[in-house]
Amino acid sequence: MRLPLHELRWLKRAALDSNRPLESLVQRRLNHEPLQYIIGTQPFGPLHNLRVRPPVLIPRPETEDWVIRLAEHLSSSFSGRPLSLLDLGTGSGCIPLLLCHLCPNIVATGIDISPHATRLANENAEVCGIPHFRFKAFLGDFVHPGFPKAEAISPPYDVLTSNPPYITPDDYLRLSDDVAKFEDPTALIGGSDGLAFYRAIASLVARQGFLSPKATVALEVDHSQAEIVSDMLSPAGFKTSIWLDPWGKKRTVIAQRQ
Amino acid sequence: MASPEDINRLRQLKESEPLQEAWDHWTSTLKALEDVKTLLNDPDPAMKALASEEAAELNGELGTILKQTFPSLLVPPSTTANLSALVELKSGVGGTESSLFLETLLRMYMRFYQSNSWKATIVAENDNEGGGIKDAIVEIKGAGAYDTLRWESGVHRVQRVPVTESGGRVHTSTVAVIVLPLMEEQDAQKEALYSMDDIKLEVMRARGAGGQHVNKTESAVRLTHIPTGITVSMQDERSQHQNKRRAFQVLSARLMDRKITREIAERRATKNSLIKSVDRSEKIRTYNYAQERVTDHRIGLSIMNLSAVIEGNALHDFTDALKKDYEETTMEDMLESES
Repeated sequence: MRLPLHELRWLKRAALDSNRPLESLVQRRLNHEPLQYIIGTQPFGPLHNLRVRPPVLIPRPETEDWVIRLAEHLSSSFSGRPLSLLDLGTGSGCIPLLLCHLCPNIVATGIDISPHATRLANENAEVCGIPHFRFKAFLGDFVHPGFPKAEAISPPYDVLTSNPPYITPDDYLRLSDDVAKFEDPTALIGGSDGLAFYRAIASLVARQGFLSPKATVALEVDHSQAEIVSDMLSPAGFKTSIWLDPWGKKRTVIAQRQ
Repeated sequence: MASPEDINRLRQLKESEPLQEAWDHWTSTLKALEDVKTLLNDPDPAMKALASEEAAELNGELGTILKQTFPSLLVPPSTTANLSALVELKSGVGGTESSLFLETLLRMYMRFYQSNSWKATIVAENDNEGGGIKDAIVEIKGAGAYDTLRWESGVHRVQRVPVTESGGRVHTSTVAVIVLPLMEEQDAQKEALYSMDDIKLEVMRARGAGGQHVNKTESAVRLTHIPTGITVSMQDERSQHQNKRRAFQVLSARLMDRKITREIAERRATKNSLIKSVDRSEKIRTYNYAQERVTDHRIGLSIMNLSAVIEGNALHDFTDALKKDYEETTMEDMLESES
């Protein structure tokens, strides 16, 4: 394997910045460790120093793209009134933190089942200068029936976002080492058909009083399942649309309560 | 609270400061001369000699103010004085030797930026497989960066025996330098240099299923400004958002550059202006290693200490001389159009 020149330059800079020998960084990369874990950060929109750490899912460019678009959407449709946001499976905290950064009227809560994730997300809030009263990540299992009653949860929410695990077990076995060997499988595998977490989310948002009357739901999806996820939300009285990612793939289901 | 009007007035006041200073200097020198004059006929010969010496000195000073300070104030303040710069370097003829020289020039400019206390960042860099750098873009943040560096635009020529040459023959290779005006993002938006409808934005390379399935670092973007056909590709940043921002920054700078060039051309067409627009294909400077000589062909200035230009502070001599040359042309231009 040969390292692309750009990766080599980024590793050089990281070696210099963190006073680590370049050789060991390159060796790690040659062993397929994701570049972002080696460097320790991944820029996400204008958040330049978002920290990443194994095994927490590394933010993807597709996610960056739709979150920036969502921020514009929220600013124009809610025109600055205070919004409370819930992010399910928050991982590094990238989604709620970028939304907090871009929309000063948002106060957000992140939920994750992994203590690695909640620790990292809270750390990232500090790195990004988002104070505690605007974002906090909590341990929680949003598939659990008792979840809506959890202490950290205070409905109604105006915005619900999630990039839940959506890879099927079959697909998981075909993933390249960069992903499969280093990132947390619990952040990737979405049950036997890749849809388990969307079912849980659909039943959550259908609950009386969980979302505010004009709430927005934004869910990242596998490109082959956008319509199915969209159909799951329709019975709960949502008008849905599907956003394409920069590569032309169906990537985000946006649901607006009428 | 200061209103925008107040701020304009404040700016005007600040800009007129050099006028006030020059005038104050003139009147105080004149006053001193008049005071000394009364002593020229002093009965004490020592006092008389002292006075005439001082009078001569003050006269000289008045002459300098009259001949240099006042005319320089006639040069209209540069409209680009506050702009930062984006410096693009592209290797030209000479293959790897050209890329190696580009690396040397890049180092020279990076050193130059530091000595001017500007902030320089390499925003794009494509290394050459055989050594050196194929092309690079450097952002230089700081007021005056564009005005100081704009005359660096053109073809820079190197004459030396390349390290890759075994026969000891002297080669001539070139690097093209383009200095673009760089505005702050919000100022660029105010200029309305382009409309988003005219922009085609492409992301490079397919990602297969994308999303959670892949974790590759490809985030290259390409912008095309359809009306002008300008394309900008950017892949040096680690996120697509950053690459997009950089690409728009480069596009704005190129469009702003076109605008300035157009304005100069229009002015020349209407009043027969002497100010040349920059011809990017013109050979402007030669770096001759064997003779330790750097010559700027436009003003005929040679510095017989190549290392001082490349590794020291002598590049300032060129930029200062070029700036002065430009100011003199501007002044001649004004005098011509007056008559």
